[in-house]
Amino acid sequence: MIRFLLRRLGHGLFVLFVVSTVTFAIMSAAPGGPSLLADPKLSVAERAAIESRLGIDQPVTVQYTRWLGRAVRGDLGASFLYQTSSLSTIGSRLPQTLLLAGTALLLTIGIGIPLGMSAAARPGSRLDRIVTSSSGIALAVPAFWLGMILILVFAVWARLLPAGGAVTEGVSLGLLDRLRHLILPALVLAAAGCAEVVRYTRSAALTTLALPFVQALRARGISPARVLWRHGLRHALVSVVSVIGLQLPRLVGGAAITETVFSWPGMGRLGVEAALGRDYPLVMAVTLVVSAGVVVASIMADLAQMLLDPRIRTA
Amino acid sequence: MTRCVRAMCMSLSLLLGCTRAPAGGDDTLRLPLINDPIFNPVIAPDIGSVMVNKVLFPGLVRPDEQLRPVPDLAVSWQAAADGMSWTFVLRPNVTWHDGAPFSARDVKFTFDQILDLASGSRLRSDFSAVDGVDIVDSLTVRFRLKAPFAPLLPLLGYNAGILPEHILKGRKLTDAVAFNRTTPVGTGPFRIERVVPGASVTLVRNASYFGAAPGVARMVFKVVPDINAQVAQLRAGELDLITIEPANLGSVEGVAGVRVLQVPVVQHWYVGFNASTPMFSSPIVRRALGFAVNRQAIAAGVLKGYADLPGGTIPVALRDFYDSAAAPVPYAPDSARRLLASAGWNPGPDGTLKNAKGEPFAFELLVDKGNPTREQSALAVQQDLGKIGVRATIRTMEFAALVRDRVLPATYAAVLIWWTTPPDPDQYAFYVTGQDNNHVKWSNRTADSLLSLGRATQDPIQRRAIYTAFQRLERDDPPVLVLFYPREIQAASTRLEGIPALGIRDALRHSERFRFARQDTIR
Repeated sequence: MIRFLLRRLGHGLFVLFVVSTVTFAIMSAAPGGPSLLADPKLSVAERAAIESRLGIDQPVTVQYTRWLGRAVRGDLGASFLYQTSSLSTIGSRLPQTLLLAGTALLLTIGIGIPLGMSAAARPGSRLDRIVTSSSGIALAVPAFWLGMILILVFAVWARLLPAGGAVTEGVSLGLLDRLRHLILPALVLAAAGCAEVVRYTRSAALTTLALPFVQALRARGISPARVLWRHGLRHALVSVVSVIGLQLPRLVGGAAITETVFSWPGMGRLGVEAALGRDYPLVMAVTLVVSAGVVVASIMADLAQMLLDPRIRTA
Repeated sequence: MTRCVRAMCMSLSLLLGCTRAPAGGDDTLRLPLINDPIFNPVIAPDIGSVMVNKVLFPGLVRPDEQLRPVPDLAVSWQAAADGMSWTFVLRPNVTWHDGAPFSARDVKFTFDQILDLASGSRLRSDFSAVDGVDIVDSLTVRFRLKAPFAPLLPLLGYNAGILPEHILKGRKLTDAVAFNRTTPVGTGPFRIERVVPGASVTLVRNASYFGAAPGVARMVFKVVPDINAQVAQLRAGELDLITIEPANLGSVEGVAGVRVLQVPVVQHWYVGFNASTPMFSSPIVRRALGFAVNRQAIAAGVLKGYADLPGGTIPVALRDFYDSAAAPVPYAPDSARRLLASAGWNPGPDGTLKNAKGEPFAFELLVDKGNPTREQSALAVQQDLGKIGVRATIRTMEFAALVRDRVLPATYAAVLIWWTTPPDPDQYAFYVTGQDNNHVKWSNRTADSLLSLGRATQDPIQRRAIYTAFQRLERDDPPVLVLFYPREIQAASTRLEGIPALGIRDALRHSERFRFARQDTIR
């Protein structure tokens, strides 16, 4: 177990190194350069002063070596756009992203698995058809569209929920206020992942329910509900867990669209802003943090599978 | 299962029902920003920073609704007879937000920083004519100039907010991270209360503000990068004033509780032709292309009427200088064809214009990606030019790449772009031969001397005559193809009053004037 963890961590560090090198290379090759320099009013002298202050007047290899040297010591440099250190810039956004992503993940699991199992219990039933078709829609609808529609319905017309932000600014209304702001973005962020989990759960459960051990359980007179929710679920979960593991990077790094539509002060939007502004240090830092998250999430998904399926443990 | 669902429904209805959002904390003005600001007017040129800094950091003067400079931190001023220096008398008894007294030292400190490139200053080119600032006494400063410089006053009221020497002295402005990001200290009508990165900046009324008492208790700048989200939040009562694109008009017009305002702004949007290329070096060709574009159709179709038709590069918002005697450039495709023929461009068999060598009149028109007004304008230009046999291919690029990789090194043929300028007709930096910002590589000796004279002439009547001559000259030798002068479209809550008739940035120089109608909203 320890050896497995160490090996996976070693792999993880190597992945981070490769990711950082590739990101740095792509970013430096991208057209435009830092948006601080994209001001047509800058004079030649002003441009030169900015380039030397940011250190981007050096060759790319020198820039990368410098960056790597500092990164190893835990210093990811200061953001071009925000001036604050990249890590503290991310730190100020990460809690909001974790809150949103965590809620969306809970919704994904809490809605996706029960719905998928219920649909699998009676394939072809009305419930099954509704679940299958609505999950198809949820997968197909783009997040920004769904977000705008929900805002129109719940914030503009019904005025039940806020249209954006994480809290009501300038007034402190406490936990309830936070929850009200969380509902719509969490639903939008969860929608596609939830639909995916529904479909995987349904098909995994259908496969499981056709297995001989299920026939045997039924033959012993165990109630259908118990067969489904206890034995069937556990067996189906093994493959569903890896799908959920794949959701994590999307929830943390890919929430940019949802965060933009709902002006949620999270890290996904920060990453997009950094990329558009060619904020090299911040892009690198966001990439590293998100990649580290993915590495950790995949290790955790593997561990969860081991707990669920004794056969993997020995492998 | 059902019980569980019922419980969930109940808690949800509780959540939705019990706190309808207060439709705006009664005394809080909420405006959007598209990015996190840096609270320092000298080093931060981005739009988010500029907006907040206009509130926090007053300058020596500010523009009134006619865009003329009126007193702000300075109460009076006098230019020397030779125009080589200006003396400003500062307002007495002004205090910084931390209680320290404001004085001439702060003004000198600010301009020392502005003129020093190493400080990270982004305002140096605005004040390149300034040699230095001297303290005469604690409430008097003198600006020494390298040459007489008429735009000094408008520029002082533009982005040059005054910084506190007692806090920022002795280190680089870009290193003052705490000041720049969380605890700025200015002299404006509102002071900082709270900053939530990525989310909001809350300002609170400054009780010791030197001017009229601010009309609202708080200003909240919410970071809402997406314009559609801004519109939704305005309609939901979560923002009070936003600026929109013509494409958004449909979502705000006729909406209860929202009204639409428009103000001319000091911008000219244009197609710049690279005059250093053989195709566009001739004034006749540039003039002909100007006749070929149906600006009226663009203003009506793309800008939904929220634009003024242009004569030259000086926009109508500069009422004192715009040449109102001359009519806008007409749409005259036949004149365009005739002029192009006289310049050697004649239609080939397929209608495309060709020169004597048989080369087609074809080029790439660059436009930045993502702004519907500019993309649609580019399409209209392409179609109009196509009608007279000029083939433009549109290429969209990210704005940063467009500017840095194509416009600055002048490796382009044509580009659809715009200038936002201070409220002054001085266009020396853009259109004088060889200037850094003359990206179109235009060169006209008469224009060079007119623009040099214009910035050195103090007398308003003489100045007006000089810029009228410049605008007349532009009719014969257009430096760029001006498409229109846009009007800024503002969508505001009907409860909001006291909005100055200015573009949002200049309006924020008068933020103490905003207030809400006193018909208390139902709670």
